[in-house]
Amino acid sequence: MRTEEKIITRSRNRHKRLDAFQRILLLLVICLTTLLGSIIWTMPENPPGLADAVALMQEHSGVKSPVTAVLLNFRGYDTLLEVMVLLLAVIGAWSLAKAHFPQQEREANPVQMGVVRLLVPLMFLVAAYLVWQGSHLAGGAFQGGAILGAAGVLMLVTELPCLRAIPAHPLRIGLVLGPLIFVGVALFCLFLTGDLLGYPEETAGWLILLIEAGCAISIGLTLASLFAGGHPEDERPKNQEQAKGPCKGERP
Amino acid sequence: MTAFQLAAPAWMIVPIILPLIAGLFCFLFNRRIFAIALTAALANLLGVCILIYQLLFFGPMRCHMGGWQTPIGITLRTDGPALLMLLTTAITGLAVTLYARGYFSYRILNPRHAARHQQQQRYFWPLWMLLLTGLNGLFLSNDIFNLYVTLELIAISAASLAALSGKPASQLAAFRYLLVSLLGSLTYLLGVVFLYRSCGVLDLDLLQNLMQNAPGIRAALALMSIGLLLKTALFPLHFWLPPAHANALAPVSVILSALVVKGSFYLLFRFWFEVFTPIITTSALNFMGTLGAIAIVWGAIQAMRQPRLKLMVAYSTVSQLGYLFIAFPLTRIDGNIHIWGIVIFMAMAHACAKSAMFMVAGTVFLHLGHDRIKDLNGIRANLPITVFAYGIAGVSLMGLPPSGGFIAKWLLLSSALTSSQWWWALVIIVGSLLAMIYVFRVMSHFFVIPEDYAFTKPTPVSPLMEWPALALALISLLLGLAASWPLYILAQGNVVLAQIFPGGLP
Repeated sequence: MRTEEKIITRSRNRHKRLDAFQRILLLLVICLTTLLGSIIWTMPENPPGLADAVALMQEHSGVKSPVTAVLLNFRGYDTLLEVMVLLLAVIGAWSLAKAHFPQQEREANPVQMGVVRLLVPLMFLVAAYLVWQGSHLAGGAFQGGAILGAAGVLMLVTELPCLRAIPAHPLRIGLVLGPLIFVGVALFCLFLTGDLLGYPEETAGWLILLIEAGCAISIGLTLASLFAGGHPEDERPKNQEQAKGPCKGERP
Repeated sequence: MTAFQLAAPAWMIVPIILPLIAGLFCFLFNRRIFAIALTAALANLLGVCILIYQLLFFGPMRCHMGGWQTPIGITLRTDGPALLMLLTTAITGLAVTLYARGYFSYRILNPRHAARHQQQQRYFWPLWMLLLTGLNGLFLSNDIFNLYVTLELIAISAASLAALSGKPASQLAAFRYLLVSLLGSLTYLLGVVFLYRSCGVLDLDLLQNLMQNAPGIRAALALMSIGLLLKTALFPLHFWLPPAHANALAPVSVILSALVVKGSFYLLFRFWFEVFTPIITTSALNFMGTLGAIAIVWGAIQAMRQPRLKLMVAYSTVSQLGYLFIAFPLTRIDGNIHIWGIVIFMAMAHACAKSAMFMVAGTVFLHLGHDRIKDLNGIRANLPITVFAYGIAGVSLMGLPPSGGFIAKWLLLSSALTSSQWWWALVIIVGSLLAMIYVFRVMSHFFVIPEDYAFTKPTPVSPLMEWPALALALISLLLGLAASWPLYILAQGNVVLAQIFPGGLP
């Protein structure tokens, strides 16, 4: 007990005082920040940019929001790779550890359960709405996916018993769904127009919505899986397919 | 159906999209993963060959993603250096794919940790395929922000691969690698922000035309260079490399050492000698050369002192990377003529030789259960092909004729002497001598069979572990004999080089 206290106080002291190396580092960081700040200060007022060019091509993109047009149409290839980066994060995390769930099941607090039951369906609805409105206002796959991920995190911290029974394979399918749809649409466009992700102008809006819906689901699952912190229980596929669905409507 | 004509630029996406799909499937499926990965690696090689054919017959190309022209769209482009790097990646990648198969099968045979090794293999394939996607994307991309995304793809998959072995030492090293790599990526991204604020475009061709000596652009160059140097592990930013490369699984060490560091170097070189050329000063070039020189000597001395084979090979990477930077100060006087040739040659020879060496180190480790250099005596009796591969790869690292390493060092030496910068030549010679010492130190143990050596009959090593190493070592050796061929590819679309060597021959 005493040694623990000692360690705690020592670490506190260490937080207060900086050694020589840290001081030099701090000084260097301050110098660098000042230098970069002064360079930004001297830059011209109205920087050149691509906003005008994007506005000019907006009507050919199939969506009304310039952000979505850039993300999914003009620079859709970037977004395809970004979605892969998110998937990679999950693969990396799964390769390192198994998801940790507490040994014995706890009876969830009724208030907490009430909040979860109230919020989670609402969050699903908001996520769907965000994906839908991405075509003309702020929103889209990443925002919708973030809300879905938050719903997943909420269920995880409530330690719903059904979550630990989620088999690996359906989860994998969910994680890969968005990237697969994205690649599929990209190749479909390649066959149609000769350009990867070169949407035909009249169907561009619908294809973008399809990609966004798939990616939102995958991004939501990605974030929740990262929070869970590792691969699910049954890595080897067995014949105990337990659907994810029933547990959400489960009543105590 | 314009996409399928042989002259169509859309072929450029093949080396990117194929490993990407393979990575998705490798993650999705539980069985036949190796078949998917092998198909992707083979198809990738085929795709690169088609691109080289296109370059030779139709010249350099641009592919506008989604049909959007610059400045709002993303452009991919092929030219000599990009295709040679792609080819190196494809060949080394195919060899690594085969080697990894043998490596994991051998380890899974051991019943004690079979489950753990199966688990490692399960995640190795998707990570490796996505890393390949990132590398191919990096070599082909012509967009400064898209390059950042590919760097990110490479960084995350490489760090996950480095941590795959699960040992505490490797996880620690991989975590440090991840942090350094992220710092590098973010520094690069900050540079991109400065550049976009100053120039307003992201395409490399457009940036090249807008280049001027403004403070914002100089800051961007400095930030991007530092970020990429961190990833390339140039001395003194190499501190993360030896533990990360030496503690990883053998196929992972091969990938990290042969391919991943080359990616960021390639980018750095392209920026310095294509995009930012007007604002590069001689002192900056000399500074890079000096760091490279220190890296050569320091890395070689460290390599000589290492007690373990894998650490020795990892420090040798630090040393060999220095040669790539020695090329920097030799450009000014040379007028940028065959500097691409030297650097690409060096990178190709090193990629092949170093991957062969790491494969050998991995095979020896599996065979003996350790890789302490002083206890390696007599291994020749059990692993003749592997030891032979080590010898040949060593020839290329030392730079003896007729290896690819020799040609690269010869080109470096001759440009150092013709531009009367003899001190760089001195460093190159000293570095080669030091390389000889550390290569022979291991070789002497390999080839000596002590008097009282007890011939044991251990588990036979799969041919998949021995032959890819030998094949890569032979490629690095024969690269010197076929030197005119890569230089011919480089000459395509490079007007200056084509004038100097009309037939493509040096």
